Amino acid sequence: MATCTGCSCLCPDIVVQAGVLNACRKGSSIFMHSKDNRAKPMVSGREVDMEVALEKATEMLSSSEKLAIYGMDTIPLEAQEVAIKLAERKEAFIDDNSTFCLGDFVEMVLRGILPSTTLDEAKSNAYVIFYWGTDPFQSLSRHMSLYTYYPRAGKRQRGYEEDRYLVVVDVRRSHTAKLAKKNARFIKVDSDDALVEGFLSTMDGRAGNYYEDTARILKEMQRGRFNVIFGGLGLKYGLKGKYEKFVEMMRKMNELAEVYFIPAGFHANMRGFNELMFEKTGFVNRYSFDTETSRPEYEFSELVRNDAIDTALVIGSDPVNSLPFDVAQKLRKKNLILIDPKLSLTSKIAEVVIPSAITGVDQGGTMVRSDGVRIKIDPLWEAEWSDRKILNELLRGVR
Amino acid sequence: MKFGKFIRKTTIGIVVVRDSLQGEVADNKFGEEFWKRSAVLYLHPEYAREMGFREGDVVELEKDGRTLRLRVLYSDTAPEEGAMMPNSIFSNFLIGENKKRFAASIAPSDGDVTEVDEIVFSNTN
Amino acid sequence: MPITPMEVYKLLPKTNCKKCGEQTCMSFAFKLINREKKLEDCIPLFEEKKYAIQLKELQKLLEPLKEATETGLIVDEQLCVGCGNCVVVCPVHAADDPKGMGSGFGPTIDDPILRMEDGVVKVIEMMKCRRYGKNRVLCVACRENCPTDAIRFLEG
Repeated sequence: MATCTGCSCLCPDIVVQAGVLNACRKGSSIFMHSKDNRAKPMVSGREVDMEVALEKATEMLSSSEKLAIYGMDTIPLEAQEVAIKLAERKEAFIDDNSTFCLGDFVEMVLRGILPSTTLDEAKSNAYVIFYWGTDPFQSLSRHMSLYTYYPRAGKRQRGYEEDRYLVVVDVRRSHTAKLAKKNARFIKVDSDDALVEGFLSTMDGRAGNYYEDTARILKEMQRGRFNVIFGGLGLKYGLKGKYEKFVEMMRKMNELAEVYFIPAGFHANMRGFNELMFEKTGFVNRYSFDTETSRPEYEFSELVRNDAIDTALVIGSDPVNSLPFDVAQKLRKKNLILIDPKLSLTSKIAEVVIPSAITGVDQGGTMVRSDGVRIKIDPLWEAEWSDRKILNELLRGVR
Repeated sequence: MKFGKFIRKTTIGIVVVRDSLQGEVADNKFGEEFWKRSAVLYLHPEYAREMGFREGDVVELEKDGRTLRLRVLYSDTAPEEGAMMPNSIFSNFLIGENKKRFAASIAPSDGDVTEVDEIVFSNTN
Repeated sequence: MPITPMEVYKLLPKTNCKKCGEQTCMSFAFKLINREKKLEDCIPLFEEKKYAIQLKELQKLLEPLKEATETGLIVDEQLCVGCGNCVVVCPVHAADDPKGMGSGFGPTIDDPILRMEDGVVKVIEMMKCRRYGKNRVLCVACRENCPTDAIRFLEG
């Protein structure tokens, strides 16, 4: 059986034979298209031998005085470790997507500021399944059927109609929200702060915003005794970077029942990067091995905007597609080394392209699921050049 | 200057979302499928009718001097007031600090939907 | 729109000739919809010219059932994202495969009613669905938990 690395669900039950069984649409495409559009070693837009590309990259890294390493959320821990070592060797900046994704929440969980649990525990015990500012149907398609609302397990043997209570909070009636039918609630919000205040008021015995909804949900949480809130990007941006009230709300909820927080989901191994960095430096992202601290201006986008770097090593990410336009534009003028299994928009502007492997397909390793559980992934076959091997090669040669 | 630009130019709030069908084809960003599923603006059918946009229409979004042309598609999961688009180079062309929501002005357009390369190799600042 | 037995009955010969093996034309109408009988089983309908127009209309009416004859459950693959809700929620799956589909995983049995293949749900063993057969029940679990209406039923 194969493990899918399409998202942080890391579904472990994929069967790849003539077709792909059990994976969702996005996950299946990773296996089905694994041989398509693969990157080739390139320097200045021309195809070269792998050794030439590696040499050129090593040269660029060696002459760089202000290097940033970015991406890494789709590669295994074993490769992320080497990238971090490389950043350390060059006293470089290092950052991943979590800075503008759910890094804040992962950090709060790692610091123990938000109580957390595992998806397996949620499957066996959780009564209130609360999706806040996330649409797992689209972003983490099997989340609800494999881990939360629909499976029957442990104390939740009777299925979703009797043993689960679904809550969905969003600014629109998303597909996930449509599933909140009988034993469930959909709360349409414009301001997430207002809902947090609502919960706090109700717990204080005052009728505030969303009184009816919050009163009912809190009652169900007490009834269920074990509950999980999954927070997504909608929550992060909804709270505008101010989490104190939310943390207080979680704390107060835990006086009524066990209420845990799991970041909803992200790239397959984003949490892996956060955990490695946290262990090593005490910070989860946007770090400088020069100043040995983390600052907002060390976010990769900011480094590019402020011309704070001369070279960028991008690993397993496509910033020309996924970063704001002004950053993507500026990247064209930087010395860019790209390590990626596929041709991408960034490969069009990179000085050096080094083709790597796809985790779960032709490279293996360990990845960390959204709930912190480490998943060992065996590939279907082994590519000659894995991310780890490439990064080790660069580390070996860099001055 | 298009005459239509000065009629019904109004501000709209746009939510950026994940879209599984778009995610499926994102491994080939040069492909037509990726373009088709990314260069879209989802409108709730009732809101679209109020605004006077039909499915298949091309609209022009403008923010801070940058313009983008997208195809209108209906979705009943779009916000009741406002619009929705998938996370991609197109949404990132206009996005600000908040990666989930931004406001832009919207107007009907006679032009063609913006291509991926137009943004990748754009020279505007 | 579901096809009703009355709609079908109105177009049959209504002679209760029993050539199809049923006692009455109404009973035949029910069995037609459940795919327990085929239209060809009504011999007079095909052999006697006076029923020509009715035959044509019946064939038109029962056209959607033809696709459903093979599957009964229809999955619109354009709308399916492969969330697996229908596979896991199915009460037959929960009973037949408690540690597999019942617990959220892919099937550990070879003949589920539904499973995910290449990213979308495919119907494998339709006849195991509770909606069909002698003791059928009006189960809508899969359809209710599909937020894009990708999975649908095509009979009355």
